[in-house]
Amino acid sequence: MRWLGHLLVWTVAFLVALPFIWMAYAAFIPPEAVFSGNIFGQLGFSLANFEVLGREGFWEGFWGRLLFSVLLTGSVTLLQLTTGFLAAYALKEGARLLPFFLVLLAIPVELLLVPLYGLLVGLKILDTIWALVLPFAASPFIVYLLFQGMRTVPEELLEAARIDGAGHRVLLTHILLPLLRPQLIAAGVLAFAAHWNLVLYPRIVAGSKELKTVQTWITDLQRQNPADWGPLSAAALAATLPLVIIYLLYERRIVETFEEGLKG
Amino acid sequence: MGRNNAFWFALPAVASLGLFLLYPFLDVLRFSTWDWSGLSEPRVVGLENYRDILRDPDFYNSLRITLVFGVMTLVPFVVLSILLALALDGQPYERPIKALLFLPGLVTLGGAAVAWYTLFSPEYGALASLIPVPRWDQSPFWALVLIMLFTIWRHIGYGVLVVSARLKAIPKTLLEAAAVDGATPAQSFRFITLPLLRPAITFLVVIGTVLTLQGYTAVFLLTRGGPFGGTEVLGYYLYKTGFEAGRLGYAAALTVIILLLTLAFALAQARLLREEK
Repeated sequence: MRWLGHLLVWTVAFLVALPFIWMAYAAFIPPEAVFSGNIFGQLGFSLANFEVLGREGFWEGFWGRLLFSVLLTGSVTLLQLTTGFLAAYALKEGARLLPFFLVLLAIPVELLLVPLYGLLVGLKILDTIWALVLPFAASPFIVYLLFQGMRTVPEELLEAARIDGAGHRVLLTHILLPLLRPQLIAAGVLAFAAHWNLVLYPRIVAGSKELKTVQTWITDLQRQNPADWGPLSAAALAATLPLVIIYLLYERRIVETFEEGLKG
Repeated sequence: MGRNNAFWFALPAVASLGLFLLYPFLDVLRFSTWDWSGLSEPRVVGLENYRDILRDPDFYNSLRITLVFGVMTLVPFVVLSILLALALDGQPYERPIKALLFLPGLVTLGGAAVAWYTLFSPEYGALASLIPVPRWDQSPFWALVLIMLFTIWRHIGYGVLVVSARLKAIPKTLLEAAAVDGATPAQSFRFITLPLLRPAITFLVVIGTVLTLQGYTAVFLLTRGGPFGGTEVLGYYLYKTGFEAGRLGYAAALTVIILLLTLAFALAQARLLREEK
């Protein structure tokens, strides 16, 4: 029985890893190998696929879109962490808002494309950068995660600081911020991944060239040249690598945060 | 001092969520009574959109596809989550494998779709040059299988984590006692582990149903509803009617119907799985 378990685990692990291995391999395939159809026959290493990506000029080409997306999603993440951290503090201090956030947690954001579109039209921010930022200024999930973390901070610690004359600002920046660093990192990675992986939403509310996210850019390229997979894989790899690296750095924290969330 | 005014720290989050999450969620009811393309002046049509949906053969077709897809995906997803969690439990490689399984859920979706597409495309995919790949660009069934595999690939790490967290909460002494009383491993799994895993399984089934009823991203990235509309799940049908055909009022009514369906399914499942105890 035991060897069956090992077999299952390693088979699944291989299948899960396969698309990643392939992505890394295909990104460096010499273009000639793709056109001749001899993909695995001749081993070759080439950076040609990455050079192709810069062809459209910097800002509207792949690298510009990647930079734009990193900055955009990075700002949204910081914004979500800030609003979430403050809200979690309010909850910790006795604001009776937890039910409000828990109800919001159950609303499926993915399904709200139509009314959100209507709202953005009404606010006249359709096709502006604000359409990609403002609706994500806060996330009930992040509030919940950070509140879970804040619950573990002993009340006596805050009470002692208060007696010493510490106000909200000192409590937040000097005590809670360092104590919650692990939770902030885990929540930050998850918030980053969630915003980064919006696929249809940015396409609908911000379709113009200078607002295209890297997701949209890759999906468009796949539409136009589905057979040209050297450059496609290079773009996929370059767009995926930042997330993989961040994840590997904080993997333990993220998995643990999820496990804690499941217990709560 | 200080305790009461802490409430104000929640204001940014509350205001933002109220405006961009709660308000649209309620506002969808108003849009659903409009005939509106997004550009035109809206025209109030009452419940006409709902009546049209209930007469729309494409809606029923899409509902059927969604249900088939849901069953096709959920059963292997839950079974695989349980088997993997059991096989991983206590192994030296538990941590790194869990980390690997979790990775697909976080990486760039568009990039992942590209990797899948170039790997599994039956015409010019890499795998097709080694072994025959089913023509999922022509057969709706195989297209659904592809979407299913992609969906499981993305979420299996989470599934394993859910089961595994529950598994670790089962006291080891319980299983030891059963072994002393002469229970075979199969028996103690059937009569001890499985019943205790029930909350985790219920959770996975309900969450999985919600996700399959509402999901459309994988379809958009891999098949765009094709071939022959064979993978047009409800979420994708919503996107298509709303933003490709420009019928936003109709799409809003569809949103309401999908939400009601989700609620009904989730409640029914939660009740069913709980009562079996």
